[in-house]
Amino acid sequence: MALPRFQYHEPTSLAEACQMIQEYGETAALLAGGTDLLVKMKNRELRPQNIVSLVELEEIKQISVTGRHTSIGACCTISQIADSEAIRSVFPALSSGAEHLGSPAVRNLGTIGGNVVTASPAADLPPALAAYGTKARLKQGEQERFLSLDQIFRGPGATHIRKDEILADLHLKKPPKCSGAGFFKLGHRNALQCSIINGACYIALDPQTGKIEKARIILGAVAPTLVRASSAEKLLMGEKPGKELFLEAGMAAVGDCNPIDDLRGSAEYRRDMIQVLTSRTLHTSLNEIRKSIART
Amino acid sequence: MKKTIQLSINRQPCTIAVEPHQTLLDMLRDELGMTGTKRGCDKGDCGTCTVLVNNKPINACLYLAVRADGKEILTVEGMETDEGLHPLQKAFLEKGAVQCGFCTPGMLMASVSLLDGKKNPTEEEVKQAISGNLCRCTGYTHIVEAVVSATKKRGEKF
Ligand SMILES: Cc1cc2nc3c(=O)[nH]c(=O)nc-3n(C[C@H](O)[C@H](O)[C@H](O)COP(=O)(O)OP(=O)(O)OC[C@H]3O[C@@H](n4cnc5c(N)ncnc54)[C@H](O)[C@@H]3O)c2cc1C
Ligand code: FES
Ligand code: FES
Repeated sequence: MALPRFQYHEPTSLAEACQMIQEYGETAALLAGGTDLLVKMKNRELRPQNIVSLVELEEIKQISVTGRHTSIGACCTISQIADSEAIRSVFPALSSGAEHLGSPAVRNLGTIGGNVVTASPAADLPPALAAYGTKARLKQGEQERFLSLDQIFRGPGATHIRKDEILADLHLKKPPKCSGAGFFKLGHRNALQCSIINGACYIALDPQTGKIEKARIILGAVAPTLVRASSAEKLLMGEKPGKELFLEAGMAAVGDCNPIDDLRGSAEYRRDMIQVLTSRTLHTSLNEIRKSIART
Repeated sequence: MKKTIQLSINRQPCTIAVEPHQTLLDMLRDELGMTGTKRGCDKGDCGTCTVLVNNKPINACLYLAVRADGKEILTVEGMETDEGLHPLQKAFLEKGAVQCGFCTPGMLMASVSLLDGKKNPTEEEVKQAISGNLCRCTGYTHIVEAVVSATKKRGEKF
């Protein structure tokens, strides 16, 4: 289907993009990879009169690591993230989310910024980003502010990012030594599949006692926004990691969310899968810890 | 308002004026009459519009033509050279990987970069490369066989 008509603007800097988005106000939409926006425009769900393209802005297309701090530009493509050794070695759950998104061609177009701002409850990068405690840097003219990934979403398709703000980059801190994370995605088939459920877990152990001192469990596609499974997290705190504990945490996670019946799966099926996949992903996280200890 | 872009299509320089709302797929098919690249779903789901932009497969139906300014595009029409069909095309013929042929250009484009990059891709990697491409005639087995056999015979330059 043909796209509706619009004016196309190609700013040469983030600052200029901020100006444009302010100038065109409600009539404007930001374009990154276009894999969500253009589909919505073809479906006539959106009809922006002005499109401000961010895709050629080199300043937000880089992955950079300085000391313990990693910054991922909003216009980094999903492929760039999936292929990055710097990401894989430190944030494997994020690599895994990127590898499972869409198809190779969609990954070459789609960006991490678009994946966040689209705010699909089933989006594949937000769970791992939230599990790693990521912060998003938002630019509005000269101003900037940071929002934590687990607090950025308001509902399906809605975020706390203002209409005249641009997501510039995502900031991650290198997790401590005895920590690990994992990602899971359940779909009907392996490619081009919106998740029935997805999620990510992160645990950190006290190096002295080996007990869990930090836990984050983030579930996607089970509620209008990402869910933080806080009772499951509480249950893990201060305990020694292990099979029984992870099974209990999986059960607690089911109580933390409110899955729905839809075309992709029944609520009951989702509840069962949340339990199994949460506990399995906690194991993945523990294995990551063991691997990193073995390496050092 | 139309914008003039300069790009390379199948190794030939090209200057063309396009409307902002035209996709690369619209431009190739409707403006340039290059109908080798197919239009299926027009929404990223079927992969039949796959072309290479700077050597990477993308969905031409989700790529604005204006973005192609300064880029190198390869479509199925550019696979054949003076030396004849591309080894991957030959393999598709040999293995009977074409039924109605509607998915074929996209399948070729999705797997051609695999031949450039990896030395000996596994069957799993081939399946991964074409995972965004649907074949309604469901000839996947022959398609995968063809790609694997082409990667084995590689060495010829295209
Ligand atoms: C066939 C197909 C399969 C898909 N499969 C998956 C999948 O498996 N998992 C998944 O999670 N997603 C999937 N998607 C959705 C989509 O590809 C991803 O969400 C992608 O990451 C979106 O990025 P984009 O750059 O293309 O976004 P765009 O379409 O360019 O933008 C999306 C929205 O975000 C806004 N935006 C973009 N960048 C910024 C920024 N820097 N600051 C502020 N606002 C911004 C835009 O204005 C727009 O509203 C699929 C899409 C298609 C077409
Ligand atoms: S026509 Fe582009 S993916 Fe189907
Ligand atoms: S051969 Fe007919 S769609 Fe693939």
